[in-house]
Amino acid sequence: MNDFKYVTKGLKRTDGELIVTGKAQYTVDISLPGMLFGKILGSPYSHAKIKKINIDRAKELEGVKAVVTGEDIGYRRFSFIDTPAYPADQTPLAVDKVRFVGEGVAAVAAVSEEIATKALELIEVEYEELTPVFDPEESMKEGSPQVHDIIEPNTTTAWEDFGVPKTKSRPYKVINNISNRTLIQYGDIEKGFEEADYIREDRFEIPSTSHVAMEPHVAVADYQPTGKLDVWLTHMGYEHKRLWLAKLLDIPISRVRVHKTYVGGTFGGKISLFAFEFITAYLSRLTLRPVKITLTRQEVFSVCPPARRMIVYMKMGVKNDGKIIAYHSRVIDDVGAYRRSSPTALYLAHSFRNPIYDIPNVKHEGYGVYTNKLYATAKRGHSLQQMSFAVESQIDMICEHLALDKVEMRLKNFRKKGDILPNGDTLNSYALPECLLEAAEKIAWKEKYGKIKFRGLGIGTASMFSGAHNYPFASGAMLRLNHDGRMILYTGQTEFGIGIDTVMAQVVAEVLNCPMDYVIVNAGDSEISPHDIGNWLSAGMFVSGEAVRRAALDLREQMLKYASAGLEINIEDLDMSEGWIVSRSDETKKLSFSDISRYGIQMADGDPLIGKGYTKCVPEVYFWNGQYNKTASLSSGRGRFTQAYGLAVATAEVEVDPGTGEVKIIELVVADDCGTPINRKSVEGQIMSQAVMAIGDALFEEIQFKNGVVMNPNLLEYRVPTANDIPKITSIIVDSYEPNGPFGAKEVGETSRAAVISAIANAICNATGKRIYMLPMTGDKVMQSIGDNS
Amino acid sequence: MKKSVLLKVNGEKHEVFIKPNSTLIKVLRENLSLKGTKEACGNGECGACTVLMDGIPVNSCITLAIEAEGKEIETIEGLSNGGNLHPLQKAFIDHHSFQCGFCTPGVIMAAKSLLDRNPEPTEKEVRHAVAGNICRCTGYDNIVDGILNATKQINKMKGGNQ
Repeated sequence: MNDFKYVTKGLKRTDGELIVTGKAQYTVDISLPGMLFGKILGSPYSHAKIKKINIDRAKELEGVKAVVTGEDIGYRRFSFIDTPAYPADQTPLAVDKVRFVGEGVAAVAAVSEEIATKALELIEVEYEELTPVFDPEESMKEGSPQVHDIIEPNTTTAWEDFGVPKTKSRPYKVINNISNRTLIQYGDIEKGFEEADYIREDRFEIPSTSHVAMEPHVAVADYQPTGKLDVWLTHMGYEHKRLWLAKLLDIPISRVRVHKTYVGGTFGGKISLFAFEFITAYLSRLTLRPVKITLTRQEVFSVCPPARRMIVYMKMGVKNDGKIIAYHSRVIDDVGAYRRSSPTALYLAHSFRNPIYDIPNVKHEGYGVYTNKLYATAKRGHSLQQMSFAVESQIDMICEHLALDKVEMRLKNFRKKGDILPNGDTLNSYALPECLLEAAEKIAWKEKYGKIKFRGLGIGTASMFSGAHNYPFASGAMLRLNHDGRMILYTGQTEFGIGIDTVMAQVVAEVLNCPMDYVIVNAGDSEISPHDIGNWLSAGMFVSGEAVRRAALDLREQMLKYASAGLEINIEDLDMSEGWIVSRSDETKKLSFSDISRYGIQMADGDPLIGKGYTKCVPEVYFWNGQYNKTASLSSGRGRFTQAYGLAVATAEVEVDPGTGEVKIIELVVADDCGTPINRKSVEGQIMSQAVMAIGDALFEEIQFKNGVVMNPNLLEYRVPTANDIPKITSIIVDSYEPNGPFGAKEVGETSRAAVISAIANAICNATGKRIYMLPMTGDKVMQSIGDNS
Repeated sequence: MKKSVLLKVNGEKHEVFIKPNSTLIKVLRENLSLKGTKEACGNGECGACTVLMDGIPVNSCITLAIEAEGKEIETIEGLSNGGNLHPLQKAFIDHHSFQCGFCTPGVIMAAKSLLDRNPEPTEKEVRHAVAGNICRCTGYDNIVDGILNATKQINKMKGGNQ
């Protein structure tokens, strides 16, 4: 590791000056000449038929340039998942009926936000109320109000567009509000439970939390008379946005340009297309003027999807020595009005926990269930925190019942480096045991466990993909040598807090052994950069970073070839150093990078010297001309998932006030096996970020619904951690070196959060001696559990 | 019913013609094109829009522009002197005190107000001063480090001048 010159160093952000001077341009800052402002009218009902909409008065208001309804836009369906089995179920505006409070029914573009808001008040909508259903377990019952009937695709599904022609899309008839199912099995679950000495069954419940990205959701669209769409968006990867905008507007994908902007936080919540983004583009096409829609914070809370609400039924069977031999999880995902990423979430609920414990007999059932509530989406570790909370809570209960050491019991059940998982993924790097040992030692587990009344210790584990073989499947990168010897890197990565410009420059500088300022990064412009997986499923560094490394290697090879010709020295005798190519035997024989650029133009037919690199998320997976190889199935869990798993263990020490139930976190330790940290400071930043987010998840964050209405859509009533809430937090980077990743790197941005949530939860229950089955663990819930003597 | 208002922002006088109910942030961003100040909640709950009014941090999203008349307004754009970054700005880069950066201008302004009034704050005072600024990325410790290190830098510079 010490051989690296740029990689692993905690280098400062190369674009830091833009951020600290307020010059970094976010989508909220985009303003175009003649720009209009859009507003969307939301439904006041959870479930109602739209009988009639009158937009005449709104249209007549001075300054209003366009008014559209669901009927105008029609059944253009979109979703996160759009496969033949699960065709997209959402329309940009409700057409026939509304399914949650706040669902858009009409939209306005006007010369100011004020006028647009006024125009909304002039739209008259006649509804016929229908009986709503809010509880997912009620919703699944025969005879419950039906949120959807038949979902009828009227175009090819996205999955067919990608070239997966196995089956044609077909209508999806919704029965008992089941939106999607997952069933993953291996071993013999019944035999496993028969052979178990001790079996536990518990029910856990995890509510919705909000991402609270500081930049509200916002979009600017500028549809050109030439048929081209320019957009500025708050997002985590442009391919998803481009795909859906093109599909819904019925224009070629190459005619949609997502411009680079800084994005003010995402946390999983800004992947895939939002209805308001399409409406912005649609209004721009209608008026041929730029249109901007900025959601208010209340709208972000009430109409943008929060994290998934899950009910987890866990059943585990163990031998007396603590070996887990049977694991049955049944997960109910309360998807709300639309399915979005639920099929993904329910498969991840299994696959993110899969690398942790080696259990021979497993059954994982998942049900996505429609209700008349705001639909949900991914949040930093999609399903991982829900499952980690359930599984790690139950493991603690098992240890308590069998009087087993909580560290030893987990160590006994962990998988091993080199293990091949049931789906075929290999754990090429795996430092989970080391993570647990370090996290336990750092918090002084042995010395402190069970010593002080109302003080408790807890452990949580987690794992996460480093990218997966989902659309857009792969990343490319280009590296162009300039006349002055500097290089411009083109990558599709989005900057929302990662420091993409810095870490990608570190990768290039490492390969070409040149100063950091030789690398200029142009990231996140869909018209300039190649195809890119985006910054989700923790694919950024592992997949796109590897593409960048390969682009740098490609350019290196081209440069060495010309240097060899120019200097008349064999390539093997040349080295790169500080922006020069130098003879190994004679330091005076050298050419600068700038000389190489001139050589290309003058001596090699004008060769511009462009390095190209690309990498696929899971190289062995493909589908082509009806042939398939190891494509992952979301419903059965077969096929390859990922090339590498990031892993984390957290330990927590808390103190509970028995008089009030208030929890004080004394210390958190996070040991994260992220492979080689490309930028140590940035990696520590990701770990800290997740630890603090997890404090909110564990102790107070919850989106409260009452009759389908979000009751706390603001930052006073929805509290997030502040600078005063931060305990002592130690992050430990356990570098396992991942052979498939760039310089040994793998996932880091999403694992720790789940580990910390479950560590805090377990510590609280350890402090009180009572189990709490629901997050967040507010003072009220803790008091209730202390008072509960059953 | 627009009204002419004279605002002094970052030492420069600007006459703006605005509605009496215009918020200060709207006027800063839209009339004066000072887009460094960010709006994240519009309700005075998150501190992203923090600017200084006579040296005191205010949430510009719930402050009316007319209230700012006759006062000295400072925004993030006024912080760097020519090409030189303010020690707080420099320390925020050096100590990785931001990730997405959306809350950063507000945090830096809140910190500047503290340091202008209290040149040697304790860690607790620093945390208290930025407790009204929500940052969802950093987990705050690097922000506190940045501010404490800027304090050292400022005091060293003062010492050097004496």
